[in-house]
Amino acid sequence: MTASAQPPRTAHVIHSDAEAIAVAHKLAARFAIEASARDRERRLPVAELDEFSASGLWGITIPKEYGGAGVSYVTVAEVIKIISAADPSLGQIPQNHLGVLDILLQTATEAQKRYYFGKVLQGYRFGNAFSESKSKNAGAFETRIRFDEDTAQIDGEKFYCTGALFAHIVPAVAVDQENKAFIAFVERDNPGLTVIDSWDGFGQRTTASGGVNLDAVKVPLSAVIPAHKAFDEPTADGPISQIIQAAVDTGIAVGALEETKRYAREARPWIDSQQDHGWQDPFSIAAIGDLEWRVHGTEAILKKAGQAIDAALRKPNEDTVARASVVVAQAKVLSAEIALLTSSKLFELAGTRSVLGKYNLDRHWRNARTHTLHDPARWKYHLIGNYLLNGVKPARHAWN
Amino acid sequence: MNALTQPIVAGQPLAKPQHDLHNARTLLDATLRFVRQQAQPWAGSGFAKATDDPYVISRFGDLQIRIEVAAALLQRAEEFLNNGQEDTETTIAIAESHLASADALNAVSNAEFELTGQRTPLSGSVTDPLRWKLHLIGNFRLNGIHPPSVRSVV
Repeated sequence: MTASAQPPRTAHVIHSDAEAIAVAHKLAARFAIEASARDRERRLPVAELDEFSASGLWGITIPKEYGGAGVSYVTVAEVIKIISAADPSLGQIPQNHLGVLDILLQTATEAQKRYYFGKVLQGYRFGNAFSESKSKNAGAFETRIRFDEDTAQIDGEKFYCTGALFAHIVPAVAVDQENKAFIAFVERDNPGLTVIDSWDGFGQRTTASGGVNLDAVKVPLSAVIPAHKAFDEPTADGPISQIIQAAVDTGIAVGALEETKRYAREARPWIDSQQDHGWQDPFSIAAIGDLEWRVHGTEAILKKAGQAIDAALRKPNEDTVARASVVVAQAKVLSAEIALLTSSKLFELAGTRSVLGKYNLDRHWRNARTHTLHDPARWKYHLIGNYLLNGVKPARHAWN
Repeated sequence: MNALTQPIVAGQPLAKPQHDLHNARTLLDATLRFVRQQAQPWAGSGFAKATDDPYVISRFGDLQIRIEVAAALLQRAEEFLNNGQEDTETTIAIAESHLASADALNAVSNAEFELTGQRTPLSGSVTDPLRWKLHLIGNFRLNGIHPPSVRSVV
């Protein structure tokens, strides 16, 4: 894929929550058709992404005063869930783009907001060059930013850069001498920026979540925002990053459950069941019932998480942000577990024939297992319990 | 008035999940209170208070998730009922609410028995908790670290 700093066409602008949901359903129906083929061939979804961002869905969180729809985060989660049920790689790719839009809202100057929100409404996509695979932990950065009089220089090596390969602008996180994190908006064709198609994970195969190298990349100061401020003060940025994760996993569960029912209907009856058809098996029937209530419970909590984020955005303080983190953590635990459970039960209820390569049904489990590793659910139980039992507010960072 | 404050009326399709959810919340509160005020940390845990025990903390996380799911599915079933007809979708939403509330109540009941040591047939649930047996096994098999009692014998 050649580096391009412009979208091929100007995006549609979405004006309401209902329109966003309707557009997502329409796109998802198209994205579902070749999702399996894209996974099998690791065919990067370039055309699909152009269609996705041109639909206006990548700008729906931009506030109304900047020309966007300013939708509820209940809607954001629903949109990502709908797309992810069709193709979770496509659902994951806007994850950091949406996170960056909120960091802009929280920390950018008025001129920067007008400029970048305007670009996104035209159809520009942000990628990300945030994480580093060689630093001590997920929140530690080695990439440096040095400020001169009117420019900043960034040097470093990034990984897990979902979306960067497809982006027009690559926001890169770098720390200054005081270890404060900034985000530099680097044009895709900026000298010194190299995006590497090195993601060969067994799941989420077409996210191109590979590497980015920043070698003496220079940007004007107007392209740098003090991202650390989004976490120095209580803001909903952490819960916003997290709800998109939970929405992708919920989407995987919804997609896998639909597939489970389709294949369970066609399964051969087990010899001891004394039935003529697999779909008459009382244990299979009950297993579907069990998956159904768990998926609906997860969807209901995802919605509550969106509402808690909306509340924290309306009135950001220690308490509203802590509450948003806790409810999003509930959605995160539930969605991770149900995505794995559903994508595994699929085979149990569909029988041995369902593992044949021609069906490629393992992509659901591969996607679930890969994407749910973003941050461990085991520490979310702890986060939720510590708030309930001890009143300890969750640490504020992009993973809570 | 909402699902949680309504009196239980026989014949109401959501009486059972309302009742179960109410009991789950009451039991959770009692268990929280006990662990905060009365529970001793397990001696081998190295923690000064039971409320610092990471396994106890995360256990409460699990319980709260189940209760929130039960509450959300109860609310969902109420919305189906309030929106009118007695159709299959409503019946299914009610059944799902029953399952979620019973799941929460079961989980909280088990945790109450285990964490408070009251009314449990599992002797030693407080003084010799199973959660730390898992730690003992894992710490030897993963890290080669011998359990303290064994090391002192050798």
